[in-house]
Amino acid sequence: MNTRILTLLAVAGTLGLAACGERPQIVEYKQGQYQGKADTRPWEGPAFKGDKVAWENALRNRNQSQNEYKRVE
Amino acid sequence: MLTRKSSTAGGNQRLRSTAARAAQTKLGDFARTMDRRAFLKRSGLVAGAGALATQLPYNMIGSADAADAANPPAGAGGTEIKRTVCTHCSVGCAVDAVVKNGVWVRQEPVFDSPINLGAHCAKGASVREHGHGDYRLKYPMKLVDGKYQKISWEQAMNEVSERLLKLRKEAGPDSVYWIGSSKHSNEQAYLLRKFVSFWGTNNCDHQARICHSTTVAGVANTWGYGAMTNSYNDMQNSKAMLFIGSNAAEAHPVSLLHVLHGKENGAKMIVVDPRFTRTAAKADIFSRIRSGTDIPFIWGMLYHIFKNGWEDKEYLKARVHGIDKVKEEIMKWTPDKVQDVTGIPEAEVYKIAETLAKNKPSTVVWCMGQTQHTVGNANVRAMCILQLVLGNVGVSGGGTNIFRGHDNVQGATDVGPNPDSLPGYYGLAAGSWKHWCAVWGVDYEWVKGRYASQAMMEKSGITVSRWIDGVLENNEAIDQDSNIKAVVYWGHAPNSQTRGLDMVEAMKALDTLVVIDPYPSATAAMSAMVRKEGVYLLPACTQFETSGSATASNRSLQWREKVIEPLFESKTDHTLMYAFAKKFGFEQALCKNIKVEKDKQGWDEPNVEDILREINRGTWTIGYTGQSPERLKLHMKNMHTFDVKTLRAKGGPCDGDYFGLPWPCYGSPELKHPGTPNLYDTSKHVMDGGGNFRANFGVEKDGVSLLAEDGSASKGADLQMGYPEFDHVLMKKLGWWDELTEDEKKLAEGKNWKTDRSGGIIRVVMKNHGCHPFGNAKARAVVWNFPDPVPLHREPMYSPRPDLVEKYPQPDDKKAFWRLPTLYKSLQTKVKDISKDYPLVMTSGRLVEYEGGGEETRSNPWLAELQQEMFAEVNPRDANNAGFRNNDYIWVETPTKAKLKVRAQVTERVAAGTVFLPFHFSGWWQGKDMLEYYPEGAAPIVRGESVNQATTYGYDSVTMMQETKTTLCRVSKA
Amino acid sequence: MARMKFLCDAERCIECNGCVTACKNEHEVPWGVNRRRVVTMNDGVPGERSISVSCMHCADAPCMAVCPTDCFYKTEEGVVLHDKDLCIGCGYCFFACPFGAPQFPNGPAAFGARGKMDKCTFCAGGPEADGSEEEFKKYGRNRLSEGKLPACAEMCSTKALLAGDSSVVSDIFRDRVLRRGKGAEAWGWSTAYGGGKQEQTRERKQERTQEQAQEGKQ
Repeated sequence: MNTRILTLLAVAGTLGLAACGERPQIVEYKQGQYQGKADTRPWEGPAFKGDKVAWENALRNRNQSQNEYKRVE
Repeated sequence: MLTRKSSTAGGNQRLRSTAARAAQTKLGDFARTMDRRAFLKRSGLVAGAGALATQLPYNMIGSADAADAANPPAGAGGTEIKRTVCTHCSVGCAVDAVVKNGVWVRQEPVFDSPINLGAHCAKGASVREHGHGDYRLKYPMKLVDGKYQKISWEQAMNEVSERLLKLRKEAGPDSVYWIGSSKHSNEQAYLLRKFVSFWGTNNCDHQARICHSTTVAGVANTWGYGAMTNSYNDMQNSKAMLFIGSNAAEAHPVSLLHVLHGKENGAKMIVVDPRFTRTAAKADIFSRIRSGTDIPFIWGMLYHIFKNGWEDKEYLKARVHGIDKVKEEIMKWTPDKVQDVTGIPEAEVYKIAETLAKNKPSTVVWCMGQTQHTVGNANVRAMCILQLVLGNVGVSGGGTNIFRGHDNVQGATDVGPNPDSLPGYYGLAAGSWKHWCAVWGVDYEWVKGRYASQAMMEKSGITVSRWIDGVLENNEAIDQDSNIKAVVYWGHAPNSQTRGLDMVEAMKALDTLVVIDPYPSATAAMSAMVRKEGVYLLPACTQFETSGSATASNRSLQWREKVIEPLFESKTDHTLMYAFAKKFGFEQALCKNIKVEKDKQGWDEPNVEDILREINRGTWTIGYTGQSPERLKLHMKNMHTFDVKTLRAKGGPCDGDYFGLPWPCYGSPELKHPGTPNLYDTSKHVMDGGGNFRANFGVEKDGVSLLAEDGSASKGADLQMGYPEFDHVLMKKLGWWDELTEDEKKLAEGKNWKTDRSGGIIRVVMKNHGCHPFGNAKARAVVWNFPDPVPLHREPMYSPRPDLVEKYPQPDDKKAFWRLPTLYKSLQTKVKDISKDYPLVMTSGRLVEYEGGGEETRSNPWLAELQQEMFAEVNPRDANNAGFRNNDYIWVETPTKAKLKVRAQVTERVAAGTVFLPFHFSGWWQGKDMLEYYPEGAAPIVRGESVNQATTYGYDSVTMMQETKTTLCRVSKA
Repeated sequence: MARMKFLCDAERCIECNGCVTACKNEHEVPWGVNRRRVVTMNDGVPGERSISVSCMHCADAPCMAVCPTDCFYKTEEGVVLHDKDLCIGCGYCFFACPFGAPQFPNGPAAFGARGKMDKCTFCAGGPEADGSEEEFKKYGRNRLSEGKLPACAEMCSTKALLAGDSSVVSDIFRDRVLRRGKGAEAWGWSTAYGGGKQEQTRERKQERTQEQAQEGKQ
């Protein structure tokens, strides 16, 4: 475990630097606020096309597949 | 050709790779998704070849994917869902493969499967990697001057068949040894047995020999069928479960879904093992046993059971033969003796016995920890006796839940290439041959003519565990004309057989070695290490590139749809069987009743459904007759209608069937037998999957009836008593003969229920009279046809206890046992004191990430990353005494003089005095990486020492199972 | 809908690593990157327990708090995601995270491009268009937008790892714990909850009756 963390730290250190300057745009940092691009909400994608209720129902049903007691007593 | 010698037939914090040394380097791009170009290159297809659409597979995530997996939209954007089954163990977990434009792009859980409910272990969750296959053999290759070179299929087929035909002519058909596979589908395994028969030998075998052959023989001889009696699912109904010699949490992880569900509802879980396994970590009771002392432990439990009157007296009286004789032996095992031999204190033995006796129904689970011993056949019978004494057999929640290994090892055992039997355990007697020749539509005399002689036709072949001795043994000492001169490894790893040092000598001595496999690399590398030429590698497909059925451990058959077209230049196994049959001149006979179609490359491919239909028409003994391809496919589509605990469909198109029509599914498909969820269950009607013990050993022994007592027949049977198996004579005597149709009578005349190809006897007996076609007898506690009719403890060949070797020695050596001389007592006596030099017990087992010999799974980067090095588990005491620390390289040496260089995993998981090694590794030899010997581009990602280089001599006295679980070693710092 | 959460049931986890390869498979995560791993305590001795760990999608996520480029965002369902275009791969989040979730891959693969941080997305992709090739290459697949839950939990061999709406997950887990009927047998149970098996069984029965009544209403 220790070895892995050290390795990862080393990798992180060097690559952090290497990554600089590759993107042309300059990001303006504002503490504590998300600076990235906006994401859509999961029910707004091609599958549910904005129907939040349908999406929630789909997830609720799907969640029960992790509960074998729904099929076995 | 002359036949000499015996003329009788038969004989009858592990290195969890947290140190990610290799991780970050060149392996970074292994797991990249294939783009279409890469896929085309791999699949051997040409870009622009017709139907392939233009989109990249990255674009796969469309609205179609969100749809219900059970109702795939037809052809939406070229996306299809193919239902298949994981190929990595016998649980039989269903997998939905999402295929877009011919590329396997995603894998979805099948929540509907009553077996796995969507669940997967590491192996199952990674099967889609088979659609990549980066490290597979991609085209035929040939060893030329010590290096593998690419050759064409035409050249490969020509040269291989010429070499084999030459040997057949000069040395006879028994000079070629065919090692089949438990990873073949039922259809392929069956076709291979037929193929080998037409070649003219019984020298064929597969993985079952070295995993559960002792179970099959021991259990079948006790009560009828040698298979898991109940099912993984049925363990939810158990109140107590004993795992002995089974590490299910790693070997059959999804079975733990049912086990832990059962435990959650109050079942007591007991593990007895030399190691504190991950299964033990979940148990209520764990006892550490000295490896190889199962019988004393089981007798120790039965001692308490009899002492306290916990036995099921009525059950024993009505349904069991010979228990008194066994009891005599049991009562000799007083608690002090049990403790001395097994290392388990009396209180623990008592507690386990009490738990099993007072929490019924209780079940037992065993795997290779029981079977892979010289006394394997006796170990498993002792387990059967335990369950009989407790009255647990034929009961839901009870039974002997024997977990098989490979995904289709059950099926390959049932209908595949076994040296001692034709498909369906028919044996090799003339009558069996005549039955199968009739099914195949070939002339019996012609088949006989293919063999060296009728005697050789009816004599069991050499086993896969001993093929090396078939090569190396003096010709005078072996029970066939020629030594083995060629071996065909058709889907089998070499590093799963013991005595690896001897194996390379055998490989060296061969004339020809052929390997047919998607991942032939271990055999390829071992042979290239010692040979310059005469080795051929032929690329076979995985089961995801073809269709067919596979039988899970619980005897359920599942149908796999073809997911993708064969990758690279690989061919399906049955296509290759047909191609070789053509070269050998018997392709017409091989596929007399089987349609042959052209595959996409123009090769002749036997129709898989037709092969299954032929299996259906012949395999009456074990009820492989009702599982038509149509019925199996219907089950795969309607998985959601099956109850998880009983496996029975409630309503829907499969109403009343048990999932996968677990064999025996008697009679023709039209009889609509539902399959048998729990064997020998008298509480159900035979047409509801009920049954009783089989009358397979005569009707009386020494003047005592072997038939069951009155009142112990299956529910609703017209004969509420013991009765023999049915044949035309008995049918006539009972006045049932005229219930057969005229057509049935023609085929059934002179036949019994097993050889009546009309199925009429079975139909009338079961449907009209509710009786069991195989009769109703008692189970045998005493198996008088085995060397030890009552299971006896015998110390392992290489025992750490010389004092006990004197008390419990091995039996005398055998002469022509499966055609080979076999050592027992003489060797044991010779090595009696060897523990002075090799003081530690060496044992082996599975890891969850890998399967079998491991070449396939070690070539899968998603799995390989999790276990990057071979290791040995050593107790801190032994490590300190030997002067090494955790993660050091160490040498493990055994009396064979083999030396394994492995990482030390210093852990309390093993007791002081025991060393454990996983058996999935290969690719290192005595401390050196063998990379240079592999065919280019087809070496697995992870390589390491194979434990079986170092395992010692020792074979079961009935089945020739190899001893892998108890031998001796010493360890030192490398 | 409540927040999305993972929960790993240590009584059921058998360290089979199914969750790890399910994740690798679904997202084509390259060698060396482990969005999820299984951690075992007391390995090889009685008391051995394993749990599967990844990003816990904290409510007050330390990674978000410390990120110098503020590339993290939290979705309405409580999933912590980030924009790789902003990430500078500094590893400060790695310092902050109590679970070692952030990964810093190396190499040419999609995920490893220029050493940006990679972590579990709760199978919810990233800020690119849902289900797009761009999103897949940078963040892996977006199962949530397909109405599915994380692949690791959906494929867990013993259904030890649960994922989804935290209220549903806790219902599933609570039901199991009660069924285990450990009570007096479980160490520390009486100290923590008082009573024993009988009381617990009674409690479970009541709860089930209520549940059934509710289900009846629906």
